[in-house]
Amino acid sequence: MGRYRNFWRGLMMAGLVVWPSLAFAQGRTVTGTVTRSAGNQQPIAEAVVSLVGTLTTARTGVDGTFRIEVPAGEVRLMVRAIGFTRQEVTVGATQTTVAIALDEDVFKLDEVIVTGQATTVNRRNLSTAVSVVSGDEISKVASPTIENALQGKVAGINLQSNSGAPGGGIQLQIRGNTTILGASDPLYVIDGIIYSNARVLGGRASAVAGASVQEDDPANRVADINPADIASIEILKGAAASSIYGSKASNGVVVIKTIRGQGGRTRTNVSQRFGFFDLQRDLESRTFTAGEVEDAVGIWGEGARPFFANGTPQKFDLYDQVFGRNELSYETVADVSGGDDNTRFFVSGTWKRDEGIADNTGFSRQGLRVNIDQTVSPKLEVQVSSVFNRSLHQRGFTNNGNNGGTSGYALAYQPNFQSLLPVGGIFTGPALGTQGPGANPVQTNRLARNEAETYRFTGGATVNWNAYTSDKSSFRFTAAGGIDVFNQADDVFTPNELFFERIQALPGTAVEQSATSRQNNFNLNGVHTIRPSEWQATTAFGVQLEERQLKTTRITTTNLVPGQSNVNQGTNLAAAETFTKERTLAFYAQEELLFFDEKLLVTGGIRAERSSVNGDTEKFFVFPKGSASFRFTNVLPGLLGDGAEVKIRGAYGETGNQPLFNQKFTNLGTPQFGGANGFTVAGAAGSPGVEPERLKEFEAGFDANIFGNTAQLEATFYTRNTTNLLLNRTPAPSSGFTSEVFNGGKVRNRGVEIGLGVTPARGKFSWTTHGTFTLNRNKVLDLPVAPFRPPSSGFGGLGVTFVEEGQPVTQIQGRKFLPDGTRSGQVKIGDAADDFRVGLSNDISIGSFNFSMVWDWQQGGDVINLTQFLYDDAQNAADFGSAAHATRLLAFNAGVMTPYIEDATFLKMRELSVGVDLPQSFVASAFGRAVRTARVSLSGRNLILWTDYSGLDPEVANFGSQAIRNNLDIAPFPPSRSVFFNLALGF
Amino acid sequence: MKTSLRLTGLCLAGTIALTTGCFDDEFKIPNTNSPTQEQLTETPNRTILAQTATGIFSQVNTSVGGQIQQFGLYGRELYNLLGNDPRETGEEIRGPQDPGGRAGNLFGPYYQAIRTINTYLAAIPKAADLSAAEQAASRGFAKTLMAWHFYRIAIRSGPLGFPIDVDRPINAEPAPFVSETEGFAFVASLLSEAATDLQAGGGSFPFTMAPGYTGFDTPASFLRFNRALLAKVEVTRATLLGCGGPCFTSALTALGGSFITTSGLPGSLNDGVFYAYSSASGEPTNPVSENLTAARYWIHPSIEAMVQLRADGSDDLRWTAKARKVAEPRVLNELSSDIKPIMFNANTPTTSVANLDADIPLIKNEELILLRAEARLGSGDKQGAIDDINLIRVNAGGLPPTTLTAASADADIVTEIIYNRTLSLLFEQGSRWMDHRKYNRLNQLPLDRPGDVVHPFMLVPAGECDNRGLNTPCTPLGG
Repeated sequence: MGRYRNFWRGLMMAGLVVWPSLAFAQGRTVTGTVTRSAGNQQPIAEAVVSLVGTLTTARTGVDGTFRIEVPAGEVRLMVRAIGFTRQEVTVGATQTTVAIALDEDVFKLDEVIVTGQATTVNRRNLSTAVSVVSGDEISKVASPTIENALQGKVAGINLQSNSGAPGGGIQLQIRGNTTILGASDPLYVIDGIIYSNARVLGGRASAVAGASVQEDDPANRVADINPADIASIEILKGAAASSIYGSKASNGVVVIKTIRGQGGRTRTNVSQRFGFFDLQRDLESRTFTAGEVEDAVGIWGEGARPFFANGTPQKFDLYDQVFGRNELSYETVADVSGGDDNTRFFVSGTWKRDEGIADNTGFSRQGLRVNIDQTVSPKLEVQVSSVFNRSLHQRGFTNNGNNGGTSGYALAYQPNFQSLLPVGGIFTGPALGTQGPGANPVQTNRLARNEAETYRFTGGATVNWNAYTSDKSSFRFTAAGGIDVFNQADDVFTPNELFFERIQALPGTAVEQSATSRQNNFNLNGVHTIRPSEWQATTAFGVQLEERQLKTTRITTTNLVPGQSNVNQGTNLAAAETFTKERTLAFYAQEELLFFDEKLLVTGGIRAERSSVNGDTEKFFVFPKGSASFRFTNVLPGLLGDGAEVKIRGAYGETGNQPLFNQKFTNLGTPQFGGANGFTVAGAAGSPGVEPERLKEFEAGFDANIFGNTAQLEATFYTRNTTNLLLNRTPAPSSGFTSEVFNGGKVRNRGVEIGLGVTPARGKFSWTTHGTFTLNRNKVLDLPVAPFRPPSSGFGGLGVTFVEEGQPVTQIQGRKFLPDGTRSGQVKIGDAADDFRVGLSNDISIGSFNFSMVWDWQQGGDVINLTQFLYDDAQNAADFGSAAHATRLLAFNAGVMTPYIEDATFLKMRELSVGVDLPQSFVASAFGRAVRTARVSLSGRNLILWTDYSGLDPEVANFGSQAIRNNLDIAPFPPSRSVFFNLALGF
Repeated sequence: MKTSLRLTGLCLAGTIALTTGCFDDEFKIPNTNSPTQEQLTETPNRTILAQTATGIFSQVNTSVGGQIQQFGLYGRELYNLLGNDPRETGEEIRGPQDPGGRAGNLFGPYYQAIRTINTYLAAIPKAADLSAAEQAASRGFAKTLMAWHFYRIAIRSGPLGFPIDVDRPINAEPAPFVSETEGFAFVASLLSEAATDLQAGGGSFPFTMAPGYTGFDTPASFLRFNRALLAKVEVTRATLLGCGGPCFTSALTALGGSFITTSGLPGSLNDGVFYAYSSASGEPTNPVSENLTAARYWIHPSIEAMVQLRADGSDDLRWTAKARKVAEPRVLNELSSDIKPIMFNANTPTTSVANLDADIPLIKNEELILLRAEARLGSGDKQGAIDDINLIRVNAGGLPPTTLTAASADADIVTEIIYNRTLSLLFEQGSRWMDHRKYNRLNQLPLDRPGDVVHPFMLVPAGECDNRGLNTPCTPLGG
């Protein structure tokens, strides 16, 4: 207790040192207007006009006008507005009115970026690398989840789908693998509310035997966010930027702001999309000729012979039978916003349905958001955000499943001369009943059910109290709190009549799983700013309390009464419950200093945290940060154009990664036997003194804005070491333990991020192009234990992730042939990590016509293609008998994996959009006078995939929920492309 | 200005009170998902130890299905033709074996059970509410079952040896491997220690016996199970390790103290200890029983070929009771069989349905009589061996007595013993593989495809190699 009371006292003292000194000057009033420079020069509301060198500000009203008190003599005014480049104007000593026109901020130079719980800084000055994506970029092309919409647009992140199943299931990784077994998700914060991105495992795998729970392919809950609600996404990549979230931030922080109402005329927007999803690539299987009848009989038994009665058997497109669905998908989004100078609101609703390419698969989302901003008094402002969602994920049956209960697995063993479609309502036996796992995936998809329905409420409020304001100093309190709760109900049902259930001793399985999550956070901050003259100091300090808990209960029943899916209607019930809860308390303080006409920014901060998940729950862990940047203005005007700015920046920060809930406990197992529960020493040993992982990162870079604001280059170099890793080593099996948690070791990630933006043309014909380049190299620098295979890292000799000093954590080990023809032991045969990634997006407008495109290129990285392995096992590979097949067969029989390790290089066209703003005259006649604007567009996602990869999609991960991404391809949901027609009306 | 300051102070004071003192206890969030190990190591009592005894019983069932499949595949007792895992028709009968996969199995789970038993043994003296006799009975029970785990590790590891000194902290150096000979001696001595404890164990155990131990529920009767295990261990090392005479003699002595009986045949053939299963919720179910339509388990056709006939020309009764032909053979990767195992099913002459409640013998009188035949043969008592063989032939198989005599070659008698063990113990423990190993006859097992092999033993698991800084596959004993 005493320990941090002192800490707190010190912090107060620090704040008081810079307490305001007061000064009032005699002045005059200046009025003016702020408008857009382009188009019809509409007024800009909510623009901030400040008197340079002071803290005096004014805001424009809905008509774009403002009024500000200034001292006598010539003054300079700075005008800022969201989405526009700021502008400084000089107002002469006798001038009383001023008109200012702002340019659109294509490079987001003047975006306001969070630097603390209650502080922000202009991106122009920012001393760390933070990527910003605007709402327009997110919602231009229909996307199932916001992550899809980020693909190819941000440097320094790696976003990969675990499979093609509808409704998400995506890993977002920022600046490489910083953890081996800890939590690997970035922290999501929406409007100040910590937002759960949980993946709830255990539904599908509990019904389809032959796969572990970790091989489940659930959606991550960020899927609940409606992309159309988003105003901007800031991605805090480095530790110096993200350390404001302390020990939850080492994987980076994604700060999402939703759209807020603006004063003025009430505006209504309605957008309607129609479209469909389509199988992008499929897998062929072996084609049999008349002469190969004995081969087929050898594989599938005598049942295969009749198919050859007329010579060469008929050939069916099995992937099309299973994944050939193109039902109508749609999305309706409507929002209403408006208000006056005191009350502003934004209300939006969404109704979406994505139909999957397999029967009974799809994704629905409905949501209602209400955001209200209320100015209670000039000193007191309240912002309230709330959203209610329902999501329905129907993800079907894919990924590993040894009994054939998953589609891709069963297809590997299915001869293409036998159709899977029912004849007269009767399904034929799978694979002629003599080989393979024995399931008909068409039957499985049509009769079985794998659904997760989620209801979610997220709401919070921020209260700003400007306790004191003068032109030289201000003091404000910000209190913010929020809650995020959801219940996800999984309903999985595999009825008795399915082929793979029929052969079970207890046929028919039903699973009911319920996951209830609650996260709440509260923080209270004081922010003190002084601006004595040409410099400014901002001191912020505060306290934050966070809690999160997740409770999952599951009932699995087998031996169902035919036709029943109720868990009471089976004879064998099994129940499971897990509960995790965590509570963290943090104190923090930071100082931001702006010098030399806002050219030099120096920042320092510290955060101290205690948490219930640590071994010592009373100990405070301290995370410091510091950064600096300097802007050179008007650099080399002859060479770089007028007004060129170059900023150099450097930062150091530390963040943490909290232990998982159960890592400090060594549990007893409680097996049931003979009607009693026993105690056994469980295989997993905990660590009673477990601590957070600690990430220490240096980053340096420069940002250049050149050629008259038509080109921008950002480059960042970083090196980040994670020490005190949460490791889960595999002790010698003879110890009687299967795993042990401990802190130790060190992993390094080093990398380069480059962002380039160019606007070759502006005006009636405008063209903006953005490129990103991401390169990251990972290496285990220190591993204080024997190299190990992390749990859920693969299948024994079939290629596994292997954590070893001196190697990247993503290395793949397996056997290969030695030059003498014998085979090696387990050696490195691949690396899942890519060599580099490049994203390229282009926006072209010609008058009211608009065209845009986003490309995503991944170079390198390896995939373990176990789907191919299954086809080879089934003697059913499309290239059966070819030289390539012979090579694989040799390896297959020797237990050598090298032919199954494939290069994951791909080039994907993530987005394509063609649209036109309909002319005003046409709009009025077609839709009536109430309609202000109308836009039609045609957009596509993932339309093109170029890759040498022989499987469905090199973006795949059977164990997608694990921290170390292992690109394991084993019968995943195939990728799909989508095309949507979009009509957007503004009222 | 002053107002501001005072307000600030108030807010700060409130915040500190709100977020610190009030919350101290709330940071100690317990694990509500599971009991923790401290309950057993720090504060054991009668109830907790009884609960742990149930856990020890349940861990005896560890990997039973795995052993039946793995040894069964190696010994060509069965096929797994489900086709869901290429290793079952590849690696396990064709090689090469993968220490990171199945070839490293049947190891760790036994050591987990041993860890539970060692923790239990350490906790016994701390339980003040157990009498000295109850403590002895508890030790005897636990050590007997620990010996059974070690025996199963010994036979899967063969000449590679295995670690025995494993009761050490998790962070200690891994326990050293000992040779197969030393390992078997350790198992035998553990059983003898257990016997001494059981003899001092009073009239009853301080816990409820688990199902499967009917008739062995007191320290005195449990001792007869202990002696039966010792007999099996001794016969195995007599043959597998060439210990010969002394071990056979020791086996015969142990059998004398076991539950072997020749009265009440054929019913008493099934006396013994069982791995118990139940389809009741939450209970372990029979791991191998399945419907005739299931594609997984099939009896190797070579066993059908050697089935002997009864006087009326019909098949050995054991074959009729344990195997059934189906119409369509299952074919996978050039392997095929049309014979389903039904020994654990609910059978009528025309149907056979999976029975997840069926127990699997751990050791039964039928095996003890055949162990005695082996021990007698090894001790030079051929006629005694033939008498025992005939007890089984007549009572279990409904066969006429064997034509072998005391003048027959030892090898022929061994062949007959293996035949009877194969039929009597079919799908129970993979005896066919072990018997061919014991008598150095692995080369007599049938190979179905060119390139197929019979693996002579399993490998040291990869995790064991990794933790010793050895490349896989490793041989910690060298060689």
